[in-house]
Amino acid sequence: MATFQAVKKALNLAPTVRSLPSGVPAAPLLNLAVRAPSSGHDHHGASGPRSDVAPKWTGGVSRTSAGLVSKTFSTAPAVSFHQHRLLHTSVVRKDAPEVPDFSPYRASSTDGNRALSYFMVGSLGVLSASAAKSSVSEFLQTMAASADVLALAKVELEIGNIPEGKNVIIKWRGKPVFIRHRTQSEIEEARSVDWKTFRDPQSDEERVKKPDWLVMLGVCTHLGCVPIGEAGDYGGWFCPCHGSHYDISGRARKGPAPLNLEIPQYEFNEAEGKLVIG
Amino acid sequence: MALMFMQLAATVYNTFFKRNSVYVTAIFASAFAFGVGFDVGVTAFYDKWNKGKQWKDIRHKYITEEE
Repeated sequence: MATFQAVKKALNLAPTVRSLPSGVPAAPLLNLAVRAPSSGHDHHGASGPRSDVAPKWTGGVSRTSAGLVSKTFSTAPAVSFHQHRLLHTSVVRKDAPEVPDFSPYRASSTDGNRALSYFMVGSLGVLSASAAKSSVSEFLQTMAASADVLALAKVELEIGNIPEGKNVIIKWRGKPVFIRHRTQSEIEEARSVDWKTFRDPQSDEERVKKPDWLVMLGVCTHLGCVPIGEAGDYGGWFCPCHGSHYDISGRARKGPAPLNLEIPQYEFNEAEGKLVIG
Repeated sequence: MALMFMQLAATVYNTFFKRNSVYVTAIFASAFAFGVGFDVGVTAFYDKWNKGKQWKDIRHKYITEEE
């Protein structure tokens, strides 16, 4: 940041000191080759010949004993000047009131300011992104089932007082659910058959969580009738509408039913001896 | 001090801001972290402000676990 200092003290002179009787301005001390001092903040390039003026051989203003003379050596039609041009070629005075010196206030390095600017932009981005994400997820949560609906969607059942070999039918979400406390012989029967040859092959182990409790939806997979328990050719369920037979594991064995009886989601609450369906 | 700050600023700029891919990724990552932190903070403040009024604070007065 080397500031060029003129050796001569530069003065802001009036554009012309005096006029000759002919009207031509005479400025004997005018330096036509002077340049403005370069500072670190105006980006006009290094010092050297000015690039924005025409070269000397095309003419220009010169100082003669007869005053300032402007000549143009070119093939272009000469333009006659009908008015005085005011020439400002003197050095700008640094202490002029309209041009304060801001250099003490300028940042010595712009790194910090640049990092701060990007940081502020990024912070706004962070806030906007998290607001947008929160709006979307809150909106999606309004579509989820509320806690009371979820609570109604579950059914609890005391299973301690269901004797072995008995069926219980309860209503769950508007549909009957069969719960059978199977005897040991029924479990063996359900597990001994060759289930791979069935219409909807499924092993008994896949269909129950505990072997002595069979929980399934009491809706016939054919056309939605409610099968009758402890009936049919296989000792399980029998649908009276079109004669589908289900075995003691609720698998379709005979008749038009295409699939086994459906198993709902359920779990056992061991501590309270309860079965929770849903 | 000022020099350290300048170095820190330059490091942060070169690490996070220089490449737009890194910048945007960092923004989304910090948005996620900010969301989680904001939730945790607000919940902690809410629980502190309503201490003794919520069901989880007074549940033990009404329900005794029978063992």
